Amino acid sequence: MARSTPERRRKTRIKAGFSVYYAIFLIFVYGPMFAMFTLSFQGPRGGVTFPMRGLSFVWWERLAGPSAVGDIKSSLVRSLILAVIVMMITAIFSTMLAMAFRKKFHGSNVLFYAVMAGLMVPGVLLSLGLASLLRVIGIPPGWWYSALGVHVVWTLPFGFLVMMAVFNRFDVRLEEAARDMGADEWTVFKEVTLPLITPGIVAAGLFGFTLSYDEFARTTLLAGAQNTLPLDINAAMTQRVQPTIFALGTASTIFSLLMIGLFIVVYTILYRRSR
Amino acid sequence: MPYESPEHLRNLWSRRSVLKATAASVAAGVAGSFSKIAEAADGLRSIGLGVSEINEIQSQASKDLGFPVAGQAMGYGEMFGKMLNQNDQYEIAEGYYNDMRVMGPAKVWQPIDTKKLKDWDKVTNLTKTGKLTPESSVGQGDAPYLFLWVDENGNKTKGPSQYISMCPAFHNADSIGYNPKATGRPIESWGELLNKDFKGKVALLNVPQIGVMDAAMAVEALGLKKFGDKGNMTKAEIDFLIDYLIPLKKAGHFRAFWENFGQSVNLMVNGEVVLESMWSPAVAAIQAEGVPCAYAFPKEGMRGWHGGLAISAKVKGKQLDQAYEYINWWLAGWPAAFVARQGYYHSIPENAKKFLDAAEWDYWYDGKPAAKDLSDPFGTVIIKKGDIRSGGSYWNRYSKIAVWNSLMDENDYLVKRWTEFLTA
Amino acid sequence: MQKPAVRFGRACNVTTIETYTKVAHVDATRRGLLGGPPAALARDDIKRKYRREPGFPVPVLIAPATLWLLVFLVLPLVSIFVFSFWKTTGHGMAPAFTLEHYRAFLVSEGFFDPNKPEFLTPSIFIRTLWTTFRFTITVMAICLILAYPLAYFLSMQVQDFKWQLALFLLAMVPFWTSYLIRAVAWLPMLGRHGLINEFLLDIGAIDEPVSFFLYSEFSYTMALVQLYVVLAVGPIFFSLAKIDRNLLEAARDMGANSFQIFREIIFPLSLPGIAIGMIFVFVMVMGEFATAVVVYGGKTSTTGTVILSYYVIANYPFAAVNAIMLMLAMMIGVVVILRVVDIRKEL
Repeated sequence: MARSTPERRRKTRIKAGFSVYYAIFLIFVYGPMFAMFTLSFQGPRGGVTFPMRGLSFVWWERLAGPSAVGDIKSSLVRSLILAVIVMMITAIFSTMLAMAFRKKFHGSNVLFYAVMAGLMVPGVLLSLGLASLLRVIGIPPGWWYSALGVHVVWTLPFGFLVMMAVFNRFDVRLEEAARDMGADEWTVFKEVTLPLITPGIVAAGLFGFTLSYDEFARTTLLAGAQNTLPLDINAAMTQRVQPTIFALGTASTIFSLLMIGLFIVVYTILYRRSR
Repeated sequence: MPYESPEHLRNLWSRRSVLKATAASVAAGVAGSFSKIAEAADGLRSIGLGVSEINEIQSQASKDLGFPVAGQAMGYGEMFGKMLNQNDQYEIAEGYYNDMRVMGPAKVWQPIDTKKLKDWDKVTNLTKTGKLTPESSVGQGDAPYLFLWVDENGNKTKGPSQYISMCPAFHNADSIGYNPKATGRPIESWGELLNKDFKGKVALLNVPQIGVMDAAMAVEALGLKKFGDKGNMTKAEIDFLIDYLIPLKKAGHFRAFWENFGQSVNLMVNGEVVLESMWSPAVAAIQAEGVPCAYAFPKEGMRGWHGGLAISAKVKGKQLDQAYEYINWWLAGWPAAFVARQGYYHSIPENAKKFLDAAEWDYWYDGKPAAKDLSDPFGTVIIKKGDIRSGGSYWNRYSKIAVWNSLMDENDYLVKRWTEFLTA
Repeated sequence: MQKPAVRFGRACNVTTIETYTKVAHVDATRRGLLGGPPAALARDDIKRKYRREPGFPVPVLIAPATLWLLVFLVLPLVSIFVFSFWKTTGHGMAPAFTLEHYRAFLVSEGFFDPNKPEFLTPSIFIRTLWTTFRFTITVMAICLILAYPLAYFLSMQVQDFKWQLALFLLAMVPFWTSYLIRAVAWLPMLGRHGLINEFLLDIGAIDEPVSFFLYSEFSYTMALVQLYVVLAVGPIFFSLAKIDRNLLEAARDMGANSFQIFREIIFPLSLPGIAIGMIFVFVMVMGEFATAVVVYGGKTSTTGTVILSYYVIANYPFAAVNAIMLMLAMMIGVVVILRVVDIRKEL
């Protein structure tokens, strides 16, 4: 093939154009984060806007130390645990539901709407409805059951749509072939279906984690006596908006970036090993 | 798409490993939460706004009293909702007397027996009769003494009785905060909030019940209307006020409406506004960030509010005793001194005095010039030597309360019209 | 080679052409609200060859999720619906049956009085709902315009799946930072003394700081877009990645140019992804309440804010009415989107 045909040059230009767009997009999405990142190193007398009054690690130290309002560290742990549980339940439920929806069954329409409704109900009211209900029954709300319940209701539609898309793309003939060879249902699922839908499950779980971790509206009334991280951040901001909050934001962004880096490394290793 | 699924993915899903992982995480989650539940029967949980739920106070209480005290701070709306709906989720509520209009009939709090309060006699008359000094004016609106006295069933009584709804703790008088360098002159009247000179550089509190009061003070100060009771306005008065405000908002007079303390600090520090309705500790916070800020003492008077400690109706037994201990600890003065450095007053000034050094007492309570640089509770210097608290002494400032934070009869109508104003 | 059956919203993969043509007549007779039953139905005649019902039993599959939804979704919803008819006491609500709250929502006082200024004007609550809706549509449009090229870049231009995913996750990372912090992070950029103003002043483009950048419709819209645009990218990316490259090859062989390929094949095939992405953004922005305070200075009210304000003063029935109206509006929006694009069929 010729090294540089007009066609190839055009394609490269198009790709370059898109890459530039990607870069601009990233700048837009990350934009305020740059300000946040810079300001987290604000001097001790500085505030949450420019100008910078000196550079220091003061706010990072304050993040690590005891905070004036709320307890960031333990609410962070709570949020993480909650998000992990939500992630697993979302992944499992979405997969099971999407598999069921591959066939037609009585009430499939109703169930479909019910799942979607979890998306459309304003968080604050679900919070109120459940909290009042619990009061009538006599159970106090707690972050690891009432908040969990509502979080899953919220994340399930997202995971469900992802899994539905995955199964739509799925070639049923593979499963049929396995069945033809005499495998039972669970083996078919384990050996054929599961490995192929794993990316979808991971995506659904990821959605679940992300949405739960940052969930605010639905959690306000249902967290019980102990705040999750977004609630604690809100509490801290009601006292004072200080660069500590930016240090927290920066830390969590760096953490996410590290996770992605880790993911790429792990994936590359696994992929190479399987060859 | 590969037709041969990779070995590593198949192994990932072996039944055993999935079960193990699930069991482990569920166990961790449950274990983590159960350890917290075990605590609930001992110690106290306290809820309130971020201005009074401060870790230093609760940890000092735990140390002094010998049992754990945990605080949870939240925004005004959530706090109100939680106090009203979930009184099994807390033992102590740091509430406000104007909330009693709702909390009282809802019977979410239990009456407090004044006989069990050690220093009850030392509590000033501000809460008991409404007048700090005999010459004070009581002020319009929901003055605390109207909601203080109850009988043992929690119903309001006409005069003093043995039981009270909430134990008075911290209180203050709010007015306008401003940047004297930016305004170029001292602010002496509520009407300045609506002064066209400051167009686009003014902010108000967005909570309808309080924001409307500030606006009413401004409108009355400008001589546009005389309200019967700013704390309980009629529909016609509300209409007049809102109809006056809407064109101002459309013209861009208001830069923003703030919802919590942190935002009000930000607005001034970022230079977005030059004057705004403000809570007094904000002055200290703004000065700590290097921006000049002064608190006005308007000639029309201040807007008062009063916070207190209430005990949830569900508390009994050992925790009830602990609750009383905590309240007595508050009255005894250590936390009072703590919040004094943010500008709040305490209902037993002499007890607060025990924990403040002389220079602090002189500045915060006596209205004398600061003998040295003073810092806020967190160690940042906020008062320079020689500054005088605007309005002077506690007794001077509190003698002129124009109106108290209130919940009006026409509250629903107010919220509706205030929403119109906000969205205009 | 046979020309693929390509029509607006019903483009299909080359490998399943026969299946879809069979489905065609079934569709016409069985239109539900969201379009016909899923494509799997068409395989019934093939499945009849098997004596055993393939797959796990359906009741087992749907039981856990259904139970969960019943407890944590249906029950609270029913409660809210019931609450909307109760009357308010000063500090809560009591069982009753009254339509006064619905009336208060729909009409303002003086609605029927020709002498009052409120004559025939919709109530503030309807207007608030409309404002919420207006912002949502704007944000959706901008998100679509921004997200589509990005999804296109990731799925079409980037070859290696690993890099596709990595770049996608890189764009998603801000989504994992608390949304409250991200909203607040706009202040140092847009304020009167913020980065942008300082920059413009420095280069002499303006004489005085522009106040329009913050606490305005502009800042509100931009903050919302920045918060949710990534949600739109995901589903579009997914749809585009699904497109069989053979189809594009075939079209190119037949002489179609890039623009025609896009218009006839790529765009219609990506519609399900667009629809899902738009639904995500629509739902999140309609339910918004906190960003307006941070970035717009509380100068607008969304229905979410109204719900909260009435909840705070313990007027739960009226808050419930607003919530139900909001839900209705959202359902109508979602149904409209799904009517334009039959995703249930695609799924």
